[in-house]
Amino acid sequence: MKVLIVEDELALQQGIREFLEGEKFLVETASTYLEAVDKVMNYPYDCVLLDIMLTGGSGMDVLREMRANQVKSSVLILSAKDSVEDKVAGLEIGADDYLAKPFHFAELLARLKSIIRRNAQDGEQLLRYKNVSLNPETREVKINGVNLTLNRKEYDLFYYFMLRPNKLQEKSTLAETVWGDHADQADNLDFIYSQIKNLRKKLKSANADCDIQAVYGVGYKLI
Amino acid sequence: MAISVKNYTNRYVSIAILIVMAVWAALFYAVIMDEVYDNIDDGLKNQKILIIREVYSNPKLIEESKEFGINQFVIRKVENLEETVDQNKFSKEFIYMPYDAEEEPYRILRTGFYDASGKPYHLEIRTSTVEEDDFLINLAISLLVLYVVIVLSILIINHYMLGRAWQPFKQILKNLSKYRFGKANSFEAVSSPVSEFNDLNNHISHMIQQNEKVFDNQKRFLENAAHELQTPLAVGINKLELVLENSHLNEDDTVRIVEAKRSLQRMVNLNKSLLTLSRINNQQYAGNDNVLVNTIVRDLLMDYEDVLQYKDIKVDFQEKGEFLVDANTDLMQILFSNLLSNAIKYNLKSGSIAIDISSNAISVSNTSTERALNPDYIFERFYKGNQDHNSNGLGLSIVHTILEKYPTLKIQYAYQNNMQVFEIKKVE
Repeated sequence: MKVLIVEDELALQQGIREFLEGEKFLVETASTYLEAVDKVMNYPYDCVLLDIMLTGGSGMDVLREMRANQVKSSVLILSAKDSVEDKVAGLEIGADDYLAKPFHFAELLARLKSIIRRNAQDGEQLLRYKNVSLNPETREVKINGVNLTLNRKEYDLFYYFMLRPNKLQEKSTLAETVWGDHADQADNLDFIYSQIKNLRKKLKSANADCDIQAVYGVGYKLI
Repeated sequence: MAISVKNYTNRYVSIAILIVMAVWAALFYAVIMDEVYDNIDDGLKNQKILIIREVYSNPKLIEESKEFGINQFVIRKVENLEETVDQNKFSKEFIYMPYDAEEEPYRILRTGFYDASGKPYHLEIRTSTVEEDDFLINLAISLLVLYVVIVLSILIINHYMLGRAWQPFKQILKNLSKYRFGKANSFEAVSSPVSEFNDLNNHISHMIQQNEKVFDNQKRFLENAAHELQTPLAVGINKLELVLENSHLNEDDTVRIVEAKRSLQRMVNLNKSLLTLSRINNQQYAGNDNVLVNTIVRDLLMDYEDVLQYKDIKVDFQEKGEFLVDANTDLMQILFSNLLSNAIKYNLKSGSIAIDISSNAISVSNTSTERALNPDYIFERFYKGNQDHNSNGLGLSIVHTILEKYPTLKIQYAYQNNMQVFEIKKVE
């Protein structure tokens, strides 16, 4: 998977790069408008992470150039401007998704994977871990090939775990990504616990080899 | 009580005129009476000289003038010869007058003279004089009429003239009431031939422009500051996430980093709220739809389902009608999600929320950890009941700012039956 990060804030660019490389992506970067246009025109990427405010021009223009020149690479807009118009405008010009800064890496990864999956031609993109497989297309979870029925929230939670097994999933990140903006309204994040408990129960009774483990009270990880 | 400038001046003018006329009437009366007596007394003195002359040339007259005759004088012998008689003494007496059949005022000159032989005589001459009381009454009546006429004419002139003169002022007031903060063009200047009003106009316009400029600058500052914070916050959060990826961290460090990250996250949320506020103020939520609030609330309750379940909060959701508003859907969503999230956030464990929707009002009530809140402050930015760490103090301020955009919607807060009640009503 080849990804281009177009971001003029170098600290951020480097952070994203480090994270995506950890997730086994091939990462290239561009810091200015011209550099970005040059790279997207000349190399194919599975996804371009595009910042809107760049030195030398707007990310929107990079996107316009790409679409005008039939460049097929998917685009995920990363913008500090979390406004509805920007989002609509970006999607209208041909972006695949829009993520407002600041974001959690887990969320970035989920969006990125879903974009790549949508645009991938070559069949199914199952997530597999131990004897569990998850099909993001059909939202099906199978253990040893047997279907496991999960409700919407349980599936969404499990999807994040399956994206990054063995990695710490922080409670606040899970709350925000699964329950949306409303999660921060709850005065504590313990409500996640009951969902995790249900999920664990279901995994165990389906004889899954994996389990969800609490990490120091700050989050969970799939082991 | 405040009265209009017209009535204010009328009141003082009528009182002032009354005083001036009273003083004038008193002076006028005194001067006229003085002149009248002066004339009459001169006449009496003249008559005295004529009588004395006549007595000298015709001494028989002394005997013939023992009573008041048509000439209205008497001459009496002086008994006490030591008495000095030739001094003039004037007095006023009431004497019966057959014409009027009543006592009328007379001016009387008591004096005396010595006849040719040196004998002293008393001389008393009288003449009818002004009836002071009649004069006074007539004077008072005519002055009263004059007073009424003057005051009435002033009232009428004031009514029309001041009405016209203050017209631009009223227009300025009217235009001022139409002025909405944030829209400099909503105040229309009024041109007037009166220079004071023109000055007022110019000063108001100037003031509005200054205020708008300050407001604008603040708005832009807020927006820019919030924007500029996004990137460093993103960097901070993402770097901490990278550290958390490192599975060799011990528990203490993990917890510390997670806490640091949560603090940053709180700042992100604060930032988002500030940006939302500034966007609402900047009219960035344009476009109105016919929004059915019932659906919004129902969807929100679904979103909050897990949290509600976890906190064991009972929701009593009564839909007695469809609350339809002509408003921006996103704003309505923000508004009710803020109200509902407050109802959850400040609720007790195993508390309750009552939502009541009718066609022209919607109320959200909740049991609460707090007692009655101060309705004067709850809608202000950064107001917090108690120091709580999960709130940025902007939720109700956002609600308030949204409702400011819709003059037909009003929010009311009450503390009833141990419940915090927020009610949004449609007003015409």
